Amino acid sequence: MFWSKIWLFLITLAAAAGLTVALVLPRPAQRAMVRAEANRLQTACSVIHILLADDARNRVDLVGAFAREPDIMNALEAASGVERLDEARMKQVRDVGDTVMKKIQGNRKPDFAMLIDRRGRVVARVRLDDNDFGDIASGRPLIDDALAGYLRDDVWAQKGTMYFVSAAPVVKQGAYAGAVVLGHQVTNQLAEKLVTSLEVDMGFHLGADGVAGSKTIAFDHAPMQSAIARLGPDLATDCQVVHPIDVHTGADDYTALVARLPGEAAVKQAYYSVIIKRPDAAGFVGTLKAIKDSDLSFGNFPWLLVGAAFLVVLGLGIGLSYLEVDHPLRRLTGDAVRLAKGDGERLREDVHGGKFGSIARSVNIHIDKLGRDARSAKKDLDQLLGPAPEGSLGTIDLLATSLPSVRPGGPAPAVPPPPSDFRFSDSGSQPSYKPPPRSAPPPRPGTPPPFRAVSTPVAPPSPPAPPPGVTLPPDQFASRAPLTLDEDILGRATRDLAPPVDPYFKQIFDQFVSMKKSCNEPIAGLVYERFAEKLIKNRDDLMLKTGCREVRFTVYVKDGKAALKATPVKDEA
Amino acid sequence: MQLGLSLGLVGVVAGSLAALASPAAAGTVVGRLELPPAPERGPVIAKGFVDRIENPLAEIKKPTLAPYLIVVLEGDARPAAPAQVNWDLVGESFARPVIGVPVGAEVVIKNQTKIPRTIGAAEDPRLITGPLNPTGAKSFRATEPAVYTVGDKDAPHLKGKIVVVATAHVASVDDAGRFEMTDVPDGSYKLRVYFYDPIAEAHGKRSDWLAFTTDVNVASKGKSNRTDVNVKLPALTAAPAAPGKK
Repeated sequence: MFWSKIWLFLITLAAAAGLTVALVLPRPAQRAMVRAEANRLQTACSVIHILLADDARNRVDLVGAFAREPDIMNALEAASGVERLDEARMKQVRDVGDTVMKKIQGNRKPDFAMLIDRRGRVVARVRLDDNDFGDIASGRPLIDDALAGYLRDDVWAQKGTMYFVSAAPVVKQGAYAGAVVLGHQVTNQLAEKLVTSLEVDMGFHLGADGVAGSKTIAFDHAPMQSAIARLGPDLATDCQVVHPIDVHTGADDYTALVARLPGEAAVKQAYYSVIIKRPDAAGFVGTLKAIKDSDLSFGNFPWLLVGAAFLVVLGLGIGLSYLEVDHPLRRLTGDAVRLAKGDGERLREDVHGGKFGSIARSVNIHIDKLGRDARSAKKDLDQLLGPAPEGSLGTIDLLATSLPSVRPGGPAPAVPPPPSDFRFSDSGSQPSYKPPPRSAPPPRPGTPPPFRAVSTPVAPPSPPAPPPGVTLPPDQFASRAPLTLDEDILGRATRDLAPPVDPYFKQIFDQFVSMKKSCNEPIAGLVYERFAEKLIKNRDDLMLKTGCREVRFTVYVKDGKAALKATPVKDEA
Repeated sequence: MQLGLSLGLVGVVAGSLAALASPAAAGTVVGRLELPPAPERGPVIAKGFVDRIENPLAEIKKPTLAPYLIVVLEGDARPAAPAQVNWDLVGESFARPVIGVPVGAEVVIKNQTKIPRTIGAAEDPRLITGPLNPTGAKSFRATEPAVYTVGDKDAPHLKGKIVVVATAHVASVDDAGRFEMTDVPDGSYKLRVYFYDPIAEAHGKRSDWLAFTTDVNVASKGKSNRTDVNVKLPALTAAPAAPGKK
């Protein structure tokens, strides 16, 4: 059982470890998923930054081409030469600008244009505030650079709208005539276009306000603004250094990455966000739900290994169970059956180990106890019947049946138990005791007659038994020398008067004689009277000793000789 | 445009001071600052997604220094009570990036645009409060020599300097370096120049008075009361401390 228990412990330990692994394993997976999400967001953020930079180059190229339009050059050169701009000039220049804008091809047409003379005055605006003119636009870094001869881009935030702007100087014949500014509004379409192949969403924000986005989501901007506030001075590295943040909108949770937008709009906290919907936490149940059929296919799952491991574990468990439980139990069972069949007198303790050996020892101890009790009863019977030497009348065997464990009719009389070393041969040398007189049990129907019916004329009343612990003087029982059964039956048959013939005893006598004959034993001198007298006396003594109500005698063959067995019959009522 | 504005401003200041001139003999100081070579343009401000690109058709303009200079004459006489000094917000910039204001003058900042602004003085947030509405004005009186940096926090490019000086003789400089002060009483003066260097300020330095002075003696001589001053400016490095904060 030891190894079975060890094996059970190991299996339980493995099961607990497996359960622990099953519960813990989703957590590293969750962390890996979060890292993967962060990497994905950073990649998307960087890609968007690259796309915006590409877009800025295209816009700079576009405004450069716009500034090289002859009509633009002429209009701004003329405007630069007048001291005061009037509405007529504004409209004339605006029409020129609008005409040029209409000629722009492609899907990134500007949303507005500003035409500025060399003094920094806005000569005309096209498609945005197009009635305003004459104000000084110089002072804005983009326009100052354009008036100085640079082409560049910027991000403006005006009236809650964000524009990607680009500017270029207008040069006519080597002299500066002014500058043009083209603006592209940041729209949802732009956001959608930027994330087309990125499988993320994005949004453009100005502080706590959303400007545009690829998806209409009402964000809580506070965490994003807080993340923006923690960034360092270098905007170009935002995508690499910023940490993903959790944002909430309604019932949905998102993971977002924010990066600042450059240019003038940066002071108005312009930034863009890249967002992905946060997947459900991959706990144990979540992991189970995420399992697909293909995950359990033979190609993806080591079924053979798992099956082999299961069989090995099961085989080891069964083997240990067989070796430590089934086999010893079967051996003990066989031993018990053998004991029951009478092929042995005890269970073999040496062949049973562990608990089974303990069981065998316990059974043997009980058998020994029963044996001692039986021997004690046999000695009592021998004391009653006298020793039965080999080759004589036979053996009266009381071992063939057990004595009742509880004496019917109350406790046993207070008589000293017979000495354990009592023998047939030395019964006469041992102090004999006289059982106390007791009344015979009432006769039972269909049973042999009670002692009183057949024994009254035979045995005189015995003297009362000595009290416990009192030893009778040797001469008191020496006068009653024990006789052997044969001697009692054969030798004294002629000296006593014959008792009345009892049918039961006569039947036993006849069976006994017949059995002796069949065993080729001599029956000379075997007379019924002595036989019955002896049986009655023995029955009476046995009933007194055991408290049984009757005694049944059985004739049988033992070791090739006729034998007689007395069986106390307990009360069956 | 800048030249016209600067000359107009000079006229405004000179006119204001002329009204305060004493009946004593006074002359006109006409000078010219020999400007040092213009520096290269500074690094890009408010950079966009890509770096700026030089156009291939014309040489890059160098920045002009003149609008960023003011000239003052400091004498022993107590300045007369000045009048009002206007400073216009003309779009995305002030009419001049720097103006000189005599102590006691009222500075009136007018918004000539349709864009509301929220301007303030960095050195004294209580100096100018509240929004500057389109076509509206904000004013304050300069009580002591000081330098104020006025700007709009929503438009970092919109900045200007107000230099409050303890003299009534202050003038701006045109693109050629010329300046003119009228009704300057006869006497000995020291000419000082303040240089507003926005590029230096963008790098954490501060603008200040140039570390030089020139003595100017004004003496009316009959009908010809003009005093000419020609000053060659040294390298444009600011003095350690402004004279108005002695």
